[in-house]
Amino acid sequence: MNRFVIVLLALLLTACDRAEEPSGFAGLAGVAESEHEIQFLQPGPGDRLSFPADFGPHPQHRIEWWYLTANLETENGRPLGLQWTQFRQALTPRSVESEPPKPTLWPLEAAWMAHAAVSYSGQHRFAEKLARGDVGHAGATAQPFSVWLDHWHLRPASGHVGWRLSVATEHWSYDLLLQPQGDPVAHGDDGFSAKSASGEGSMYFSLVDLKIEGTVTLEGDTLRVAGTGWFDREWSSQFLKAGQQGWDWFALHLDSGDKLMLFQLRETQQAFRSGTWIPATGEPVALGPEQIGLTSVGQPAGYPRRWQITLPAFDVNLEVSAPAGDYRNSGLYPYWESPVSVTGSHSGVGYMELTGYRAQ
Amino acid sequence: MSPRIALFSHYRRHPLQLAALAAMILLASALWTGIHHLTSQARTSLEQSERAVAERQQSVREDGNPVSVQDFVNLRRQGLCVMPWLEVPVPGRGRLVGIDPLAAHCFAEPGHTPAPWQGELDGKPFVDISEAAAQASAEASALVLLVSQADGQSPPPAGYRYQAFAVAPDTAELGDSFLLNLDALGVLVLLITSLLLRSVFLLGLAQRRESLALLYRYGVNRSQLSRLLLVENLLLALVCILPGVWLGRALSLVLADGFGQALEGLFDRLLYAGGGEDWWLPTLTMVAVIVAACLAGVRDSSGSLLTRVQPAFFAVLLALGLAVSLWAPTLIWLFLAVALVFLAAGWLAPLAIAGVVRWLARNTGDPLIRWRLQEVAVLVRRLALPLVALQFALALVLAVHALVTTFEDTFDQWLGQRLEADYYIEVPQGADITAAVSWLAAKPELVSPELWHQVIRGRASVQTASGREPVPVDVFALGPVSHLVQNWRLLAQTETPWQALARGEGLMVNEQLARRQQLAVGDRLIVRLGARRLQAPVLAVYPDYGRPSGEVLVPASLLPEDFEARFRSLSISAGIEEIKVVEAQLARLWHTPQLTVRDNQAIRTLATDVFDQTFLLTRAMTTLTLILAAAALLLMVWVFLSTRAWYFRLLIVWGMPQRQAATQLTRVSLALIFAVLVCALPLGVWLTWILVQRINPLAFGWSLPMAVYPGFWIELAVLALIIGLSIALLMRLQLRRPASAPESAHGLQGGER
Repeated sequence: MNRFVIVLLALLLTACDRAEEPSGFAGLAGVAESEHEIQFLQPGPGDRLSFPADFGPHPQHRIEWWYLTANLETENGRPLGLQWTQFRQALTPRSVESEPPKPTLWPLEAAWMAHAAVSYSGQHRFAEKLARGDVGHAGATAQPFSVWLDHWHLRPASGHVGWRLSVATEHWSYDLLLQPQGDPVAHGDDGFSAKSASGEGSMYFSLVDLKIEGTVTLEGDTLRVAGTGWFDREWSSQFLKAGQQGWDWFALHLDSGDKLMLFQLRETQQAFRSGTWIPATGEPVALGPEQIGLTSVGQPAGYPRRWQITLPAFDVNLEVSAPAGDYRNSGLYPYWESPVSVTGSHSGVGYMELTGYRAQ
Repeated sequence: MSPRIALFSHYRRHPLQLAALAAMILLASALWTGIHHLTSQARTSLEQSERAVAERQQSVREDGNPVSVQDFVNLRRQGLCVMPWLEVPVPGRGRLVGIDPLAAHCFAEPGHTPAPWQGELDGKPFVDISEAAAQASAEASALVLLVSQADGQSPPPAGYRYQAFAVAPDTAELGDSFLLNLDALGVLVLLITSLLLRSVFLLGLAQRRESLALLYRYGVNRSQLSRLLLVENLLLALVCILPGVWLGRALSLVLADGFGQALEGLFDRLLYAGGGEDWWLPTLTMVAVIVAACLAGVRDSSGSLLTRVQPAFFAVLLALGLAVSLWAPTLIWLFLAVALVFLAAGWLAPLAIAGVVRWLARNTGDPLIRWRLQEVAVLVRRLALPLVALQFALALVLAVHALVTTFEDTFDQWLGQRLEADYYIEVPQGADITAAVSWLAAKPELVSPELWHQVIRGRASVQTASGREPVPVDVFALGPVSHLVQNWRLLAQTETPWQALARGEGLMVNEQLARRQQLAVGDRLIVRLGARRLQAPVLAVYPDYGRPSGEVLVPASLLPEDFEARFRSLSISAGIEEIKVVEAQLARLWHTPQLTVRDNQAIRTLATDVFDQTFLLTRAMTTLTLILAAAALLLMVWVFLSTRAWYFRLLIVWGMPQRQAATQLTRVSLALIFAVLVCALPLGVWLTWILVQRINPLAFGWSLPMAVYPGFWIELAVLALIIGLSIALLMRLQLRRPASAPESAHGLQGGER
């Protein structure tokens, strides 16, 4: 089964690729060309965010995602990491004003993919779901803010301020109340986050401080959990530059109250780095490539589990490491998604995502 | 010089012989690997075919309305793994089945072979559901929501219920039977491979007899020589097996892929995508076979392969094998019989050919004819093993052709028997079938009375009049006994069985029940149908391929009121317009908005398509055997003839023009090959009989019809002609080369006269 879906998704993801150019991890370096009358839109410097509309889908962009990572603790203080992501991948661009096709036609203009994972006691549980768009069992709306695929959904919490996220698989599930603290943080140039020196990029904002509480059930054992989450919204039509192999992404909650997002996109000889320093008080600061030091520590091959992060301008020198265990999300596009702990000039927790590596 | 170096130095002096031996091992490895690979492919193909037609669960609305996209969304939002299956009739193309591969993602079960609809959506008949929906019209297309196996075992959500959904009848034991036969064929191919390898080994020994004798005289004892030879063969095997395995896989891929593409089969790409593993089994098997071929003894290397055996002993063995095959009560005995017959046939065939040609030679006055016949006798003796391998390969090809053709016919008949009408309409639970039957009976202008019947299935027990214990059986009741069933092929019957059945004067039994209870036409049976005790004679025995249980066929009029029907349906042959009228009226009668109506023609097309690939792969398997057996024979012939060319040249020395000498050699080689073909034919027919008439009844309780296909014999004869002409060509090539008589003109060096 997977093979076909991979073929289909690869087709979707690379529908507009130029054949001679490598299309990067999961086809995200595909070029946003379209044979259709309406063209895919490619974000660029000067584009601005608009709320609450940008919480909803962007049908004229090729790829977008809603991404939650959470560093939680159980009642007895044991750490529990949690991820929920929903991706939309368009095959056909559609303007926001256009009527969607009728569900009875089983249209194939967009595909949806949802990932959920729980990392606890060195064990990583992962599940994946797929759906075609415009039929009704997968979708997103900005108002009310709701994102769903089958019975996994993020929606307004009834009786509370905030959202409720429910995910259930055969062996495990979670049901959480998410309460955003503070306004969305725009990354890059007021929301346009460059992904290469030549201008490829995406629109990207985050809710960097979500108060989370709820329950996680693992093989019938229900745990009460609470902690902090990080929610990303990102959309683009050409995310990576051709030739970029993958990325290393970090979202860190430091005990000082500061937050840090940074990533690097790897190419054969070099890497493009970017990030945002979000101080406990004051305005977020976009970080340029020259301001970021990011190196993996002591692992020649496979997914690097330990990293050294330096921001000399902010006196930050961190060592970030994943706990023992295998945190690969073994879906159609395998990648690493693990909670991390932070030591060095600051302590804290966070999440790390690594793509485009060969597993060892 | 150590004995080892002295022994191996033979090949330094005769590198061509070494190359020939290596090529034979390589070919034998390629043969077995290719067969192993093709068998695995055929097995996978069959498993996929069965999964394609296997029964699944579908979710339907409790209120009887057809399911819609909204139902799909409702069920998915409740966490149920359902996938849409949209069937759309396409004029001239049968039908398309639209599926949603994204929704089907949750159907994937780790470790299971994917179902065919999980492969490429190429319109045969699966397409993406959006494509099917674009061609669908509201009244003709049917949406089905399939439920995953895991979810199908939990209670359905409120407002829905689960019911069975199958695209074709379950093949049950039909598939198992085919696989068993494939396994049996695999063993026979291994036997052929062993013969080829053994012939290599013996040829190598024969060629080096003088070196060995010299070493023996210098004090190297026999066991030391045997050990050195074994090491040498193993080393040679290790070098040659891996490329052989690679070649076998490549050949099988080319062969199967070629067939697959010719058919544009449903599974071609899916089948050949993941075949990279499983190198070790053919490799280990080949090493084992080579060791066995070498360990079987060096003493036979003296060359008198045939002179020391007693033909009478093997004749007795053959008779014994044939007798055991007739009597065999279990599969083990049957396989033993096959082994005995092949062993005896393998030994006797060269002896018989040699004996016949010698007799003919004695009784002819023409010296040239006598020379040719004597030469055939020499070749038969010297090339006995590869010739026997060719004989076995020819017999195998013949048997497999008959088997596959029989299976195809049987499969057609089996489908025909189960899908005798154009449509069948499932009777909903609780619906009154009698009202429908009365209405249909009153509408002869709509559906001819001969072209519809109701089918009722249930259980009963059967007891023979001789008073054995009652045994449970399936009941298949028909009413009225329409013309739709009357073209069934019956295995045994009274004069007018269908008319008698319609009058309620008896019943019919399936082959399984007849075999188990040793029933014959005319035997009286006591059948307990609910509260009714029916005593009736057996009117006919019908074939019922693939079904494990015994079954009785009775007219529906004999069923008592309290008979517990497990399944009721109406089989109807009518035009599209008529069936729409029938469907609408029955829906009104049964107060249900939607009926389950199956288009049997479409089911038949799908089922036939999905099984064709398996049959093609099996044919490819035997073709490969024949090609490689022929190639091996040609190789052996080349090596042997290189030592006998001097003798052929004597014809020219004695004054015969070169062209005429070449013609004589052509006649010799053709006579040789046709003698082998003649020996292969009875063996092939016997093997066919074993496969279809003996293995199946023993393993499953039902037999396949026995058929021979003389048209195919002619094809084999043409093939034999090609092999014979190729040998003749080799002889002519040898004739052109200068050759001198060997220093010691003994038989093994081709010096026999």
